[in-house]
Amino acid sequence: MAGLGDLLGRAVLWPFVLLARLIDLPLRVWQRWTGIGGMAAVFLAPTLLIFGVFVLVPLGLNFAYAMTGGTGILLGERPFVGFEQYGRLLECEDYTRRLTCREDQFWTAVGNTGVFVIFQVTLMVAVSLITALILNRNIRGRGFFRAVFFFPVLLSPVVVGLIWRWILQRQGLLNLIMVNLGLDPQVWLNDRFYAFAATIGVSTWAHMGFYTLILLAGLQAIPRDLYEAAEMDATPPTRVFRRITLPLLAPNLAVVLVLALIRGVQIFDEVYVLTGGGPGTSTLFLTQYIYEAGFASILRNPGLAAAASILMGAVLVVLTLLQLWLSRRAEGGRVR
Amino acid sequence: MSKVMGFLTARRGHGGRWHWTDVVTWVWLIGGTIIMFGPALWLISSSFKGPAQLAEFPPTLLPYVQELAVVDGYDDPLPLFTATLEDGTTQVLAEVRRVGTNAQMVDPANPETRIDVNIADRTPVRQIGLATDNYVAPLVANDFVRYLWNSVFVTMMATIITLLTNSMAAFALSKYDFRGRNAVMLLIVGTLMVPLSVILVPLYSVVNATGLLNSLWGVILPTVATPTGVFLLRQYMLTIPDELLEAARMDHASEWQIYWRIVLPLAAPALAVLAIFSVVWRWNDFLWPLIVLSRRELYTLQVGLNTYAGELNVQWHYILAMTVVTMIPVVLVFLFLQRFITTGIAGSGIK
Amino acid sequence: MGQITLRGIRKSFSGVDVIHGIDLTIADGELAVFVGPSGCGKSTLLRMIAGLDRPTTGTIEIDGQDVTRTSAAERGLAMVFQSYALYPHMTVRQNLSFGLENTRMPKNDITARVDDAGRMLEIMDLMDRRPTQLSGGQRQRVAIGRAIVRNPTAFLLDEPLSNLDAELRGSMRAELAGLHDRLKTTMIYVTHDQIEAMTLADKIVVLRKGVIEQVDTPLGLYNRPQNLFVAGFIGAPNMNFFNAVAVDGQAELPGGLRVAVPGNGPVTIGIRPQMLHLADPDAPALTGTIRLIEALGAETVVHAAAADGTAMVVVLSGQPALRTGETIRLAFDPDALHVFGADGQRLD
Repeated sequence: MAGLGDLLGRAVLWPFVLLARLIDLPLRVWQRWTGIGGMAAVFLAPTLLIFGVFVLVPLGLNFAYAMTGGTGILLGERPFVGFEQYGRLLECEDYTRRLTCREDQFWTAVGNTGVFVIFQVTLMVAVSLITALILNRNIRGRGFFRAVFFFPVLLSPVVVGLIWRWILQRQGLLNLIMVNLGLDPQVWLNDRFYAFAATIGVSTWAHMGFYTLILLAGLQAIPRDLYEAAEMDATPPTRVFRRITLPLLAPNLAVVLVLALIRGVQIFDEVYVLTGGGPGTSTLFLTQYIYEAGFASILRNPGLAAAASILMGAVLVVLTLLQLWLSRRAEGGRVR
Repeated sequence: MSKVMGFLTARRGHGGRWHWTDVVTWVWLIGGTIIMFGPALWLISSSFKGPAQLAEFPPTLLPYVQELAVVDGYDDPLPLFTATLEDGTTQVLAEVRRVGTNAQMVDPANPETRIDVNIADRTPVRQIGLATDNYVAPLVANDFVRYLWNSVFVTMMATIITLLTNSMAAFALSKYDFRGRNAVMLLIVGTLMVPLSVILVPLYSVVNATGLLNSLWGVILPTVATPTGVFLLRQYMLTIPDELLEAARMDHASEWQIYWRIVLPLAAPALAVLAIFSVVWRWNDFLWPLIVLSRRELYTLQVGLNTYAGELNVQWHYILAMTVVTMIPVVLVFLFLQRFITTGIAGSGIK
Repeated sequence: MGQITLRGIRKSFSGVDVIHGIDLTIADGELAVFVGPSGCGKSTLLRMIAGLDRPTTGTIEIDGQDVTRTSAAERGLAMVFQSYALYPHMTVRQNLSFGLENTRMPKNDITARVDDAGRMLEIMDLMDRRPTQLSGGQRQRVAIGRAIVRNPTAFLLDEPLSNLDAELRGSMRAELAGLHDRLKTTMIYVTHDQIEAMTLADKIVVLRKGVIEQVDTPLGLYNRPQNLFVAGFIGAPNMNFFNAVAVDGQAELPGGLRVAVPGNGPVTIGIRPQMLHLADPDAPALTGTIRLIEALGAETVVHAAAADGTAMVVVLSGQPALRTGETIRLAFDPDALHVFGADGQRLD
């Protein structure tokens, strides 16, 4: 059996091995010419090329797009409008009333995203912390339950969206449960409040396993003898949690918090499939606004989308820097 | 049996009474298992129900199909019902056709006599069974085989290219000391801050300019540049002793050979983790293919599924079945490689 | 052939000099040992000879050819690394063949060479195993085998025995010596273990802080150390040193014993612990108070304090009747004294 697997592996790898052999000769010549140092450039070239073309160039172009108007996608066809797009996004007659803004949809999206992030991140951190604490107990089948909570993380957002759309529909599973409990069935996704709650619940359902894993890793890194020492001192469990677990888990908690924030601000796929932003605009979030402004709506305006994405990017950069700083601190803490 | 009970009642103390935290733990774990697995199981069960059964409320837990009977004088098998006759007796009859609120039925044992039954007086004879047509029809009649192939192609190509380019870059960044190495590292860290949603518009125009619009390569190439992959591999390659590379250099190996024959095989565990991640990422990608691909025959499964679900006349029986198909590779990954992924995440905090 | 010549080698890492100008010639077929405390630059020197590091200035010649800018692969040398650096994903045979395959040698020749080396090192029955399935000693053999199959002009060995336990180290040392006798190839051997250096070397190069302190045969180093550092470094237990002032060719050891010394002014007088023996009761003697006695059976190691408090160690043969706290009276052959001047250099 092992022989067969080996043979199969070789058959699959064969073209690559051949390619590697062929490429060796020109690279040897290159190496002779530039020395070992020059080879670093060779190894970096493909990645840097792809990074350059598909990340760095777009990043620069983004600013150019945000300064131009019209509906054309080619930069040359687009008239320069300066900061007009930002103005359009940010101008309101009365900043206390959303509808007086020139681009009220943008403000709707910002408001929705803000509320979403606050509730979703809170729920996410709470649920994953509780799950991690429970999984860290001396329970049987820990590996199995860890896998259970991780399962939805792998599902695609489209699948997640559709699964829950099916459960929340008029004749769905949730209404079956409601009826069995003697409650009135609801058309969940047609209700502004329930639809918004559903986006929070579903996205938490889909991603909590990931955060649970990070927290669980943090919990398991806490030395057992600390707990044993506390037990010798007859420390009450709540005090153990507040004085030992929480402080030692703080770096991981911080990383989880910021990561959840970063992901939350960008929420799109599963919500788009679940509610499509509706009913009305009650679950319209920033990324969907950018997508629709740039590509989907009839009056598409790439410049406006670019400007909005730059504003979102600025928030993300701040959050990411925060995360890098926190995770570096977390690493330092572990070494100590 | 006692083992099972021992397992189910395992708790914190060394024997003795149940602590309240034990109750919370098991409620949470069992409830969690139902909430995490339940929706997917419900989806799978529903995907085997016919359209009529899907429209029922309350829904049944398991899929049923109506029993059919071959009746003399009729070419096609006829559906069976339990009918309550005028005299109050019940009898299993086969339906020939429906006229208004009445159904023309026959007794399979006596196909000559037609019996008229009000449709309210009959219930279908059903048994647990699978409506496999939900799967066959979209794959054969619609484009789902095409979508499936597109998804497989994108996933495989993107993963191969990711593994190759990322491991080369990681090799250079972990094993060479050259000027500008820190700058390159910084650049790659920087791109972590540039998620796709921030550069949608200009990336679209770049893909447009390079002629990759409406091509699967337009989906593949921009996703290959994952800083996460470079990081993961670099971190692992740093643990490969430099002496091995030096020994290979003394052994007349070229730098490319060192990469190909020494470092790559030794980085296999990290490559495997990245491969699994990459497969899951690329299989699940939605927003970017949605933007790049506007021709139906190029859709990936995710985009095709969303488009299908967004149509005015939602054909749930097909959508549910195709959702299951979309889920299959990921479930396989979960079943066989879950341990790899969870340790990978716990080790590096990436997703 | 395999003559290696270093001329004016200097090396600095990010501005810090670690090698301060080394000139050295190692003759063809010679087994030269670089020895010195850790951080003395002996490994760096070896890596520069190998071509893995480049000297900042200076030239390296092999058989008269300047190879300073030649890559490691093209110098025709083979190296045995401290960690052995066996490719963990290859079998023993693949490990041995890898270097030969890179030179595009025909398959049959590779097999023949690998088998020869395998027989010589008695590792034929390990050929299909992976390095992780081998014991430390077996790995060591494979690492040496990988060097042998290359048929190099010289072998470079970087602390090759340091990962073995004491017993295995002894037997591998003997095998390495036997191997060198058979192959008659130049070998450069880096170690911090002076027993390895003394037993293996044709020539020992003592290094300290990036400079050569002395180059000589093992016994030459032992008998005539050129400076205080070499005197203290070679020989175990360490040589005893006494500070004294030489006046008119005479100096006084602690306790008043006068000895003849060359030179004038402050000197350091050294004598090896093995060169001291118990003095006759009425003869003049070097005296000390016994602090500790280590009876090893065949010999007895006595730690004592001289009259001025200087610590000294004496190795006496047999099991003399001594007790802690007693005074010990010692005599020695005047020719066994080593005298060093204020600059630490030998006075003769």
